[in-house]
Amino acid sequence: MAFTGDFMCSSFKQELFEGLHDFQVAGDSFKMALYDNTATLTAATTAYPGAGVGGELAAAGNYTQGGEALTNIAPTLDGTTAICDFVDEVWGTATFTAYGGLIYNDTEAGDPSVIVCDFGGAKTATAGDFTVQFPVAAAATAIIRIA
Amino acid sequence: MKGQVGTLEVGVVSVKTTSGRGMTPEEWADSALRHIIHVGDDAIPAIRDQALAYREAIRNVLVLYMRKAIQSDRTTLYNLLLQQGEKEMAELLRKL
Repeated sequence: MAFTGDFMCSSFKQELFEGLHDFQVAGDSFKMALYDNTATLTAATTAYPGAGVGGELAAAGNYTQGGEALTNIAPTLDGTTAICDFVDEVWGTATFTAYGGLIYNDTEAGDPSVIVCDFGGAKTATAGDFTVQFPVAAAATAIIRIA
Repeated sequence: MKGQVGTLEVGVVSVKTTSGRGMTPEEWADSALRHIIHVGDDAIPAIRDQALAYREAIRNVLVLYMRKAIQSDRTTLYNLLLQQGEKEMAELLRKL
């Protein structure tokens, strides 16, 4: 089964009310792990499945299992919409193909999941940069937004 | 009284890949700009034009300074290689 779209994990919504996640600059450490087309990540995904589990890319071609730590950008308001953003993440000198990613909270116990990102197909870098670009930090587009 | 409707939504990431090279300063500048300035489609035309011109000016500055940062980093690497006795490799790097 391949990726079937972008999802905000249902468990994450509940955890927001429980105050589990801190997106401030010096807050929790969020990571993005990359997956092949055998991944079955959906809104029902509650946590990072573990190194190499569930279709995570192999530790090769400059990919480290567990993924890369993202850089938090301070949450802000765009009008009346609260938005969250991350700095674009780049895997340098990369040689691999990924179909999607999972953002999870690496600080909290159990690595709770946040968002499932569908790359819309195979994305391949060969001895180059593999860059995940986060959307414009605006009310209609930001990666996480509460309107 | 009815409560206002609110939503919790997720955005869409995009992926940019290169083969046999890294991203250029121009490509990085475009990525950075998306986090620095956003010009809304429904902005007043005169203000939108000003904002777009401002964005272009910022892009040019970003590209310029990124090139300088690359140049400085090569100088640092050149000296590190020299200190390690890798004169030939240092010269190759300097000539890039």
